[in-house]
Amino acid sequence: MPRVPLRLIALTAIGMLLAACGQSPGDPRGSAGSDGEKVLTIGAIPDQDPQVLQRQFSTLSAYLGDKLGVEVKYLPVTDYTASVTAFQRGDLQLVFFGGLTGVQARTQVPGAIPLAQRDIDADFSSVFIANTKAGIEPFDSLDGLRKLAGNSFTFGSDTSTSGRLMPQHFLSEAGMSIDDFSGDPGYSGSHDKTAKLVEAGTYQTGALNSSVWDELVDADKIDTSTVREVFRTPPYHDYHWVARPDIDEQLGDGMTDKIKEALLGLDGSDATEKKILDMFQAGSFIDTAPGNYAQIEQVAQRLGLLN
Amino acid sequence: MTTTCRWEAAESPSAAPGTPPPPAPERGTGATGRSRRRRGWALLIFAAIVVSAVAAGIGREQVIKSEGAGSLFDFFAAAASPRLDADFLALTGTAMLTTLAYAVLGTALSLVIGLIGGILTSQAWWESGVRTRRGRRLAGWGLARAVLVVPRGIHEVVWGLFFLVVFGIDPIVAVLAIGIPFGAVTAKVFSELLDETGRRPYTALVAAGSSKWSAMLYGLLPPALPDLISYGFYRFECAIRSAAILGLVGAGGLGFQLALSFQTLRYPEIWTLLFALILLSVAADYWSSLVRSARARGRQRSRDGGGVRRDPLLTASLVFGAVLIGLSSWWIGLDIAVLWSGKAWEFGIQLLSDAWPPSVGDTGFGGLLMLAGVTLAMSIVAITIAFALGAVFAVPASTPAQGRDHIERGAMARIGRTTAMLASRFVLVVLRAIPPPVWALLLLFVMYPGILPGAIALAIYTTGVLGRLMAESVDNLDARPLRAIRSTGASASKVFCYGVIPAAAPRFVAYGLYRWEVTIRETVVVGVVGAGGLGLLLQHQISAFNYAGALTTLAMLILLTLVVDITSAAIRRSVR
Repeated sequence: MPRVPLRLIALTAIGMLLAACGQSPGDPRGSAGSDGEKVLTIGAIPDQDPQVLQRQFSTLSAYLGDKLGVEVKYLPVTDYTASVTAFQRGDLQLVFFGGLTGVQARTQVPGAIPLAQRDIDADFSSVFIANTKAGIEPFDSLDGLRKLAGNSFTFGSDTSTSGRLMPQHFLSEAGMSIDDFSGDPGYSGSHDKTAKLVEAGTYQTGALNSSVWDELVDADKIDTSTVREVFRTPPYHDYHWVARPDIDEQLGDGMTDKIKEALLGLDGSDATEKKILDMFQAGSFIDTAPGNYAQIEQVAQRLGLLN
Repeated sequence: MTTTCRWEAAESPSAAPGTPPPPAPERGTGATGRSRRRRGWALLIFAAIVVSAVAAGIGREQVIKSEGAGSLFDFFAAAASPRLDADFLALTGTAMLTTLAYAVLGTALSLVIGLIGGILTSQAWWESGVRTRRGRRLAGWGLARAVLVVPRGIHEVVWGLFFLVVFGIDPIVAVLAIGIPFGAVTAKVFSELLDETGRRPYTALVAAGSSKWSAMLYGLLPPALPDLISYGFYRFECAIRSAAILGLVGAGGLGFQLALSFQTLRYPEIWTLLFALILLSVAADYWSSLVRSARARGRQRSRDGGGVRRDPLLTASLVFGAVLIGLSSWWIGLDIAVLWSGKAWEFGIQLLSDAWPPSVGDTGFGGLLMLAGVTLAMSIVAITIAFALGAVFAVPASTPAQGRDHIERGAMARIGRTTAMLASRFVLVVLRAIPPPVWALLLLFVMYPGILPGAIALAIYTTGVLGRLMAESVDNLDARPLRAIRSTGASASKVFCYGVIPAAAPRFVAYGLYRWEVTIRETVVVGVVGAGGLGLLLQHQISAFNYAGALTTLAMLILLTLVVDITSAAIRRSVR
């Protein structure tokens, strides 16, 4: 009897040792770079059409690798919290964060630098939507949000800038507290789910990313006779690339600037660049500054989202 | 305490089929006292269910609506047209292998933990010391058991996030996140298996002066080992489903792809991935039932006086398992050196110091208790529904050839019976392959937010698991009494009422109570239903990096698990 387990243990050990050799196709850290080679690890978590980006990331890492002269590894992450954590640990050195997650990341990694944003991010907005049965007519002024009182309401993911943070900010600007809704506000988990749940009448009202909404409407994926936009918020800054402060130290002086240049230099002049910009649904990447996110930071602070 | 073990061992699907249960030791009060106690429990359970149902809004407010039925229909209609282009199939195939690799390694780790933890929590281990005093023995045993409640009370996803902070993006994260909580469950079941095994060789060795460890190794383990292994195969299927949820924390695999497609509600993609998950589950299930039925035959043979023979299928499965472990480590690039890397320790200590001291936050302690009540109510409604549905599915899903062929006769009846079995098994596998968060969203299309959609989502998923466990225990029923009833000329329905139900009921109850505990921790993943509860609070705290608050919530969840653990042990005692 004892001989069989012994042989098995030996077999397992040999197997696990052999495992150390060769490339691992399922390694979440991506294919390991050859020893001594400098590697930049990047990630992105836009919550709009994430599957396009996450499943076709090789185009982006090839482009950046080519421009920077270092190996670029793209690590796919879906979870907001997980990506901030990975950035804080240094597992991800350059991440395309949402407005709030970018601020959270900079709180956790002092000195982290907002590098660039998409052209559309400088003028981002959320929409408030309502099931037609709620009988809320579209309105133009912020104060109109008070009409939502007494209805049920859902946010998207709880750390989404356009699906939770800014809608909550504008609600309080209008003098609305989340207690004014009927029942607790929901957290649907994503923009598409918010739209679908308001369409289904589960929640009478909700708020989501305006570009996701526009796309749903354009693609006829939502029944506009049962759910409609009632208010579009004033613009704010959202997604942006954030770099760890130690990139230069690890990959050579001036690397951070080179990354910025490579991102800003994307103009869609060839097929690769065009594909990348399409993946991000951007016309181009533009410069950004920490000040753009001061408002988000204030709101996040007030909501206890920065720890 | 020996009495508790018999029922807990019933949780292990390997519990000897056909072995007549040892006579229940009489407790002092005698039969009337027992039936009074039983009635007391029945009343209490009934009251708890009613209170939970009212808390969930049943009978108080409108819970169902027809408006979103179209969206629900769209989801299931997409099952007929999954996304099948070459690119997506390649992606699904790779993801499948990654999920399989995590499940293999997670299960392997859980078996190691289960083996060691099982020994340390067995009564045999604590009672054999001649020199130690009784009080210390009890304290040691109690402590070891209490320590094991902690990993069981925390959901794999939360473990995943914890290890992500410590180890970063690394394959070890998912392996530990599956292996540790599963290891704690395995340890619980295994300690009961050990205590069921005849203790004479072990005590003889200890009395002869051998050390506790070697007495354990040579006296107690060998006879119990095969049962542990077949239990391990059963856990393997659970691990596959678990690995598929863990993709959410950057582990990759089917769960990761599922999360992406689910975020944007791409139903055809979701279905392709779900079919892959179902395929893996069915394969694992088939493998484990092969091994288990071979074990059952082996046991039968040895009882018939054929002697204990080594089971070639079990040996082959073990070798195959070992090869799989090697291949899996290679596939995900597992390197356990990260366990003792300074950086990991540094981040781990940092996290703990951030979380300590735990804070109650702005909900206050009373608020926390309220949320715990919501979680409890959700779990009670969920397990009640799942228990009823599971029992309904269990009978048709059990194997006709093994336990119940003496009821049906005739070729047509047999074909009908087999079709019913395959159909109900398939339904059960689909119910448990669709992750609870997906069920929750689907239910929200046709229900108003609250406790009920969350409870039903968990109930549907748990029905899939419970139905399978119950069907297995029907398979494992001792066929002899059923044959005896049949031979008296009783009709099939009478055999069922007087033979199958009384024999299967206690095991059903044991499984139901065991899944109740699991349901408590599963409430963490259905925050989407808008019911509040500890799960949603934990989700908010984690996404705000409020670790001190999260620690308090986790402590509350563990406490709830402990309460459920103690309550179910008491209920099981009274069922006997």
